[in-house]
Amino acid sequence: MKNETKVQRKASFLQAIKAVSWAFFGIRKKSDHDHDAATLTLGQVIVAGIIGAAIFVTSVLMMVKLVTS
Amino acid sequence: MAAVHDDHAHGHGHGHEHGHDDHAHGPPKGMMRWLTTTNHKDIGTMYLWFSFSMFIVGGLMAFGIRAELFQPGMQLMTPEFFNSLTTNHGLIMVFGAIMPAFVGFANWQVPMMIGAPDMAFARMNNWSFWLLPPAALLLVAAFFVPGGAGAGGWTFYPPLSVQMGMGMDMMIFAVHILGASSIMGSINIITTILNMRAPGMTLMKMPLFVWTWLITAYLLVLVMPVLAGTVTMLLTDRHFGTNFFNAAGGGDPIMFQHIFWFFGHPEVYIMILPAFGIVSEILPTFSRKPLFGYSSMVYATASIAILSCVVWAHHMFTVGMPVTAQLFFMYATMLIAVPTGVKVFNWTATMWQGSMSFETPMLFAIGFIFLFTIGGFSGVVCAVVPVDIQVQETYYVIAHFHYVLVSGSLFALFGGVYYWLPKWTGHMYDESLGKLHFWMSMVFFNVTFFVQHFLGLAGMPRRVPDYALQFADFNMISSIGAFGFGLSQLIFLAAVVKCIRGGKKAEAKPWEGATTLEWDLPSPAPYHSWVTPPVVK
Ligand code: HEM
Ligand SMILES: [Cu+2]
Repeated sequence: MKNETKVQRKASFLQAIKAVSWAFFGIRKKSDHDHDAATLTLGQVIVAGIIGAAIFVTSVLMMVKLVTS
Repeated sequence: MAAVHDDHAHGHGHGHEHGHDDHAHGPPKGMMRWLTTTNHKDIGTMYLWFSFSMFIVGGLMAFGIRAELFQPGMQLMTPEFFNSLTTNHGLIMVFGAIMPAFVGFANWQVPMMIGAPDMAFARMNNWSFWLLPPAALLLVAAFFVPGGAGAGGWTFYPPLSVQMGMGMDMMIFAVHILGASSIMGSINIITTILNMRAPGMTLMKMPLFVWTWLITAYLLVLVMPVLAGTVTMLLTDRHFGTNFFNAAGGGDPIMFQHIFWFFGHPEVYIMILPAFGIVSEILPTFSRKPLFGYSSMVYATASIAILSCVVWAHHMFTVGMPVTAQLFFMYATMLIAVPTGVKVFNWTATMWQGSMSFETPMLFAIGFIFLFTIGGFSGVVCAVVPVDIQVQETYYVIAHFHYVLVSGSLFALFGGVYYWLPKWTGHMYDESLGKLHFWMSMVFFNVTFFVQHFLGLAGMPRRVPDYALQFADFNMISSIGAFGFGLSQLIFLAAVVKCIRGGKKAEAKPWEGATTLEWDLPSPAPYHSWVTPPVVK
């Protein structure tokens, strides 16, 4: 476990977005989660979280526009 | 030990290697112990007793409310006093009973569960607690000033909150003080969790109770200043000639509601997330299985916390807003039920095929899942705009939030008390008293609040001292339930006092299925625990 962290330090940003999207749903596969926990940094998660929240708000808004147009 | 220590005290200042011997003094005796303590266990105890006494005060107010509503017509009090009772019942239960109780749990449990010797800022911890009694005093004393206590609802809506007498100022100051206390408590909890974990305790190994408190503390730091800000704006409107919320002066009373609920909705999650944490500790222990989907639980908690900041206007559907806004808040609110549903699923799956036993903590945890789910569903009903336009400001909403707050937060707190009492006191509680407490609470709670759904659907408005004749029967049932529920809490008091006084000696780990760190400590937990941190593998 420890060695792994050294080898594959720092995940891609796409992976952060993926982890956060699953988090919004509230579910994550165990193996994916272990991978996230080993490679994602706190900064990445926070930035992805803020972007995720913005995406959430805009997509709900777009949905509303669609329904009311 | 004492002899060795005396030697050293009267000897010469060769104190370094004995530095930690200061601990061996134990606490000072009498009142000074509690005034000056910086010990997380003492402070936790004070938080818990404070919140219980506020629970009694708020409960007596509820007795008054339900007594007046026992029959139609005005019997016992003036409408103004009735309104003061509803207002202060809400405020005291939210800020005086539920929130401090969770902080009390955090004080006792977080250090023991992460292997830390105490909270990070021990003196600030003392100050956070001792701010509470003056605030409580302000709230209660407001009843005795000219004009009486605030009576415009716990939500402080203007214009009423701008018009009332000095009772309202006292309410505002009380909220300021309580807010300061919460913010300090949260900073303390965050710092403790982030910096003081035992070696090997990575974030993803933390017990779920610790996780939920970490996220709750961030929410508190985010929204308490918003509440403090908006009640300060009320204060300046009242006394310093500003017109933030006065339409005649170019202000906007609706703006208050937006700011208040930007605080208010995250606040309701502040009151439920630590409850989720407690239930997530109890269920695996008594199912003798690890929590199903631990990482999902962490993710779901974080996501609930973030989403809870974008749903606030579901409290304002009848106030008037563009249809786009109504739909936005309706959709967002319904989506937040998804991670909440994930949690209920995980709890159920934790029990699935476990070898379960039904001690009192487990009963409360199962009662929690059952009744909280009902409250979650009535919340989704309220989130549907056309439905909410019918039920807003009716007893339906009262039923909804008592299902999530009483059978949610409060039941989790009761379960947590029974679960950890052996660790706190060193004695086992009386199981039959505990079970009696559970069943009485369960039955009377439902008698009180289930019928309120029907009252609301039939159109009975909330916050009224009198009502139309067709509501008479259900109100009488509800009042009987309320008296029963209130009296049942005396069983709780009896069980706790009995357990403190004595009882069967508790083992270090009285629950065979328990796995978290606090059970490695002896019972009762020593005054200073984890002075040398454990190593977590
Ligand atoms: C599935 C999750 C939930 C949903 C969808 C939901 C939805 C709602 C909605 C739409 C309202 C406004 C009703 C109205 O005024 O007409 C409301 C009110 C309320 N909810 Fe929830 N809720 C949920 C969970 C909770 C939880 C967990 C708590 C607290 C522990 C809570 C506490 C409250 C309170 C206190 C009010 C009333 C505030 C007041 O007007 O005095 N809710 N809820
Ligand atoms: Cu809400």
